[in-house]
Amino acid sequence: MRTMLTSVIASVIAGAGLLLSAVPAWAHHAFTAEFDAKKPLKLRGTITRVEWINPHSWIHMDVKNPDGTVTSWMVEGGSPNALLRRGVAKETLKAGMEVLVDGYQSKDGSNRANGRDITFTDGRKLFVGSSGTEAPDERPEK
Amino acid sequence: MPGRRRVLWVAASLAVSVLGQAPTKAWTPPKTPDGQPDLSGYWTNITLTPLQRPANLANKPFFTPAEAAAYEKETVERNNADRRDPGTDADVGKAYNDFWWDRGTKVVSTQRTSLIIDPPDGKIPAITQEATQRIAETRAAARGHAFDGPENRGLSERCLLWATAGPPMMPSFYNNNYQIVQGPGYVIVVVEMIHDARIIPLNGSPHLPKDVRLWMGDPRGHWEGDTLVVETTNFTDKTAFQGSSKDMRLVERFTRTAPDTILYQFTVNDPATFAKPWTAEIPMHQAAGPLIEYACHEGNYAMTGILSGARADDRKAAPEGSKAGGK
Repeated sequence: MRTMLTSVIASVIAGAGLLLSAVPAWAHHAFTAEFDAKKPLKLRGTITRVEWINPHSWIHMDVKNPDGTVTSWMVEGGSPNALLRRGVAKETLKAGMEVLVDGYQSKDGSNRANGRDITFTDGRKLFVGSSGTEAPDERPEK
Repeated sequence: MPGRRRVLWVAASLAVSVLGQAPTKAWTPPKTPDGQPDLSGYWTNITLTPLQRPANLANKPFFTPAEAAAYEKETVERNNADRRDPGTDADVGKAYNDFWWDRGTKVVSTQRTSLIIDPPDGKIPAITQEATQRIAETRAAARGHAFDGPENRGLSERCLLWATAGPPMMPSFYNNNYQIVQGPGYVIVVVEMIHDARIIPLNGSPHLPKDVRLWMGDPRGHWEGDTLVVETTNFTDKTAFQGSSKDMRLVERFTRTAPDTILYQFTVNDPATFAKPWTAEIPMHQAAGPLIEYACHEGNYAMTGILSGARADDRKAAPEGSKAGGK
């Protein structure tokens, strides 16, 4: 029963969020439940694999430590569907590319982070810009 | 169409005409091979227009073009997830760059200031005492148990049902895409998020017995002229639309008003929750297909991350030397 009620609460809270129509604080899930605001981090590393999957994309990368060892990290992004609609293809982000991640480490201390900002190391911006550039409601007025 | 709604719609049409867009009345919707009005295709309900009218727009049901542009600019800027506020929960909560999000950049094409068209003030009617108590009891029962296990998490985190998939179908933050498929005796609405399909029988059969409850409710559809009317009952208490009860009776109306537009309206009837019924409308526009797969369980590392994060918090909060964690 408790379980069911909790789910209801989640729905009620989601409803309340829509009610307020302010900046929603959750995506598919509450990121603050998974990642720790007290553990900001910057990673520079080489992509080993990208999982273009729902509900969230995951970018796997190897980060070289000062002592020469390598640590593997997983970085969480959003749903890939909107990206695919904007023409972001698998080739846009693939193994071997070097990227910078500015995000937060997971609360459980594992090598996972959310990618608040992900950029290429040569300064080209990746996944930065206004949303909805190809959204159907932005087609020119007929 | 009830008299009041007709008046509102005429008002909306006039407003649209004044704004210089093509009037829609001369257009005759196409028919499917078996003679139904054709609603089939890919549609999106993406919009910045809020469900309820903001306080600063009271008594103003429609934007002027300049007001709409100002509202759009202000809302896009406020929503922009690229803004950083390092080291705070708010910064973590924005999740990732704005590029991943898709909330749209425009208000609805009717230029309304709220999706709610009735009551005329654009606000959800008062919540009943019964509903206030129900919601408070639900919250009290859940307090302190939100992270006990996967069953305690919301339906979207569990890849079961997206909160805005409906019914009623509401705009969300991305992937606001739907596909309508029609065949003899049925209309099917496929939702991209979490990949749910609502199968709506048109055969005039009665609703399921009251003790059979479905997460998306039990829909029955019929045609009123060129409008598909869908009445849905038999909801569960696992979902709540704006606090609604499982006994909500939802009436949706789908009217194709232009080649690239379906006017989607819904009326919430739920005396256990709202002082009176209320109605909202959202023009849905044609979208580029196909829907993209939303296989969710396969990539749901987030559930593990959330629960293991909660266990880490438990360990931190536990007294020194005790064995904390686990359920």
